[in-house]
Amino acid sequence: MEDGKIISLFFERSEQAIEELNRKYGAAVKKTAANILDDRLDVEECVNDAYLRVWNNIPPHAPDPLVGYVCRIARNLAVNRYHANRAEKRGGNYALVLEEMEECIPSGVNIETEYDAKELGAAISRFLSTLKPEDRFLFVRRYWYADPVAELAVVTNGSANRISVRLFRLREKLKRSLMKEGFLA
Amino acid sequence: MNRELLSKAFGNIEESFVLEAYRPVSGDARSASERIVPMKKKRIVTLALAAALILALGITAYAAWSIHAARQQELRAELKIDENNVSSYVEYDASDEPAGGLVLLSAVNDGQTQRIYVNISPVSEEEASDPKGSEPFPVYAVSIEGTEFGGNAQKYAYDKDTQTLTLECFLPVDNMKKAAAELGTDAVPIFVQMITGIDTSRSFGPISFTMTGQQLRVFDLGNALYHDPETDKDIEIVGLDLAPFGAVWKVHYEGDAALQARKFEDWQAYKPWCDLEENVCKEAKIVFSDGSEFSIGGSQYSYYEDGAVHLWNSWKLSAINIDDVQRIVIGDMILWEAK
Repeated sequence: MEDGKIISLFFERSEQAIEELNRKYGAAVKKTAANILDDRLDVEECVNDAYLRVWNNIPPHAPDPLVGYVCRIARNLAVNRYHANRAEKRGGNYALVLEEMEECIPSGVNIETEYDAKELGAAISRFLSTLKPEDRFLFVRRYWYADPVAELAVVTNGSANRISVRLFRLREKLKRSLMKEGFLA
Repeated sequence: MNRELLSKAFGNIEESFVLEAYRPVSGDARSASERIVPMKKKRIVTLALAAALILALGITAYAAWSIHAARQQELRAELKIDENNVSSYVEYDASDEPAGGLVLLSAVNDGQTQRIYVNISPVSEEEASDPKGSEPFPVYAVSIEGTEFGGNAQKYAYDKDTQTLTLECFLPVDNMKKAAAELGTDAVPIFVQMITGIDTSRSFGPISFTMTGQQLRVFDLGNALYHDPETDKDIEIVGLDLAPFGAVWKVHYEGDAALQARKFEDWQAYKPWCDLEENVCKEAKIVFSDGSEFSIGGSQYSYYEDGAVHLWNSWKLSAINIDDVQRIVIGDMILWEAK
């Protein structure tokens, strides 16, 4: 079903809207959450919460494209739950992703406020616009979608070792880019 | 560092980049308007298409056709083996009975990795299908029996009529050498695993395999001194080792051995030289007789050996003709020219 028709179902407050949304994008939404959260119950709850948010937000919103909107909601919910759960725990795929993200930040820089996060996000976007499409794909899949390195290796026809090296070099490039922009505390 | 805010920062990137990288996951219904980033091409060759390919290549008498021969022809064409003179590309006699369901098709050594193309069967269409939901399976691996060494593999094509799955396997050359030393023989037994779940897998093989020779052209560039305008630094470009699917630039700069040894611990010191290394790999061009130019486009990794920093990269789409190099240039400087 086309996105426009799914949105129409939301506007009509038809329960079929959620069914169609789940049928079309459910696997991608679940995967976005599952890449971040280790617990299956947490993933299920996160997906259900994401659908509830979409139900509450449409209308009046009519997001286009729909997939980015719902995946972003799922990601934000998963990240929030991840950090709420992580006080005592260590390890897992997303923990590694976070460690790698920290490597990109020049030493001496701290992200302490929502404003800092927004500014950094804009700087990362500017950096992404300078990359070749295949490098940008790799970066976004790893640090937004949180795909495991082994999976990226399969998708991109490379070995996990090569993907790790490419990601390392991309992180270094981002770090240089942030320093060049004068991104300092 | 506030990790939660860091997560949010990375989550705040522009929507267009998120959508560009979106991949529909198996289990999602797809619409015609859906965009899919073509990072991996999936090919399904039917018997009829393969036969047409054989005829198009001028083979008029075709008695003993098989999926193995058809796939070998397809690989040879896709990788541009003949037109680029890849003498190191090896094709195997695929008419023998499969060894544990495994048939060797072809192989090529790119200098760092031994690439091996194989057919495995019988594999059902369900088993060969792409990952579903959030699970990463099936995943493929190639291993050397009796050792801890191996590499990864991935799906190249599937033929449902013969239930034959073609895989592209990547075994690091270093691993092959270590395995051969450990087993006391160059002919090592390799097998392929198709991992379909946490605790479920199927093995195909083993079959004897000997590492293939590397086709290499070594260019001595005589310590050409290049001044990089972007970093305002000088670098000696010592040489280039060129293979049909990979290349190593060899360079030398002030303090290179020490900088390479501590490049992860002392990033600040290494950073400008890393920029310089990347610029050489991207800006240096290999020029062929038809005027076309080729750049290895950056390096996947670097290491220090024999008095020089080695910058390595490889490519998959098709081979280059290393015998047809006419010039090697960087900026306005000619590093090497055919006589």
